Amino acid sequence: MLGCYDFCGHYDWTFEWLRQQGGEALLRDYWSGAIAVDSQRHAAAMIKELGFEGMKKYWAYTLNEEAAGYVITSRENVFRVDMHECPSKGFLIRNGIEHSADYCDHCIGWIGPMLKPAGFTIDHEHNHQGQCWWEMRKKDDATPPSRIGEISGEADIRHSAEWCAGQKDVFEKSVSVADKKPAVS
Amino acid sequence: MPRSASPPGLLPYTDTKPQGAADFYFAINATFRFIHNRLGPGGWATYLRQMGEGYFEPVNAAWRSGGLMAVASYWQAFFAAEPGAEVEVFRDATTVTVEVRRCPAIAHLRSGDREIVPFFCEHCFHLGSARANAPGFAMRLEGGAGQCRQTFSSSSEVPPQDMSAIRKVEPLC
Repeated sequence: MLGCYDFCGHYDWTFEWLRQQGGEALLRDYWSGAIAVDSQRHAAAMIKELGFEGMKKYWAYTLNEEAAGYVITSRENVFRVDMHECPSKGFLIRNGIEHSADYCDHCIGWIGPMLKPAGFTIDHEHNHQGQCWWEMRKKDDATPPSRIGEISGEADIRHSAEWCAGQKDVFEKSVSVADKKPAVS
Repeated sequence: MPRSASPPGLLPYTDTKPQGAADFYFAINATFRFIHNRLGPGGWATYLRQMGEGYFEPVNAAWRSGGLMAVASYWQAFFAAEPGAEVEVFRDATTVTVEVRRCPAIAHLRSGDREIVPFFCEHCFHLGSARANAPGFAMRLEGGAGQCRQTFSSSSEVPPQDMSAIRKVEPLC
């Protein structure tokens, strides 16, 4: 049986297997279809109906279930997550698993297509070491990403020493993994 | 030392929490549907066989060196880490029998009102037999849709798998 205990391990293996079968296009279809629309349809429905409140409900529940180390900050016009210990990437790092080229891509790979029809865009940065931050705003909100500490104060992951450890990828006003840019140091 | 909430040595990968997050069964079911739709039944079976031989090689290696005792210990530890599982594992000289009285995946997918792919239970055979074959065992499956019996045998005289013995998952009324 394929289990949920080591899900992140075989999920990572599956990414690479799909890429070998049909390239990046098949892998992105998988995230935007199988995960965003099928697997996570409960999240999509909640966020479409409740907006930022739905994000808070969904991520508070699921990140607790996965035993993440995180801080959620919800404001009137923005929903922010500071991920200090990603349970998913952390599982891979602790167990020495690295089948796919960039595991962290999967998050925006499904969250972007899930939020797009609900009318949101994403500012996001991850460091491939189990730390990242997310800011979701309505698609017509041109507010730039926050300055360090502006929204989440001391909980802002960008304050932490670990944040500088890895190579960062950046997404600005994005709903697609194709929008990835390397961070300017 | 990595933090671990699992019995050391029984599972190849360990996590900081004792059981997995059950909503991942939603993703497993959706993954099966996607691959089956895009690559066909043969592509889906190949996916599972190659995962059994590749991703699960650390388990296969433990079975190769530890024999049926390692197989039995693995399944006990595996189902202890799956939320909602009710399973008994028996071992004799030539066979390990895994009696699944409540499949955690089927139970969670049903409680989440998910459309379960009808061929869901076949995955245990494709994956399980690839893993069993690697160290020279045979795996057979009967039942499904929430309850099944899986046998792992060291005997070379095991009849072929009867695929009709694996139940399709029907929608609930």
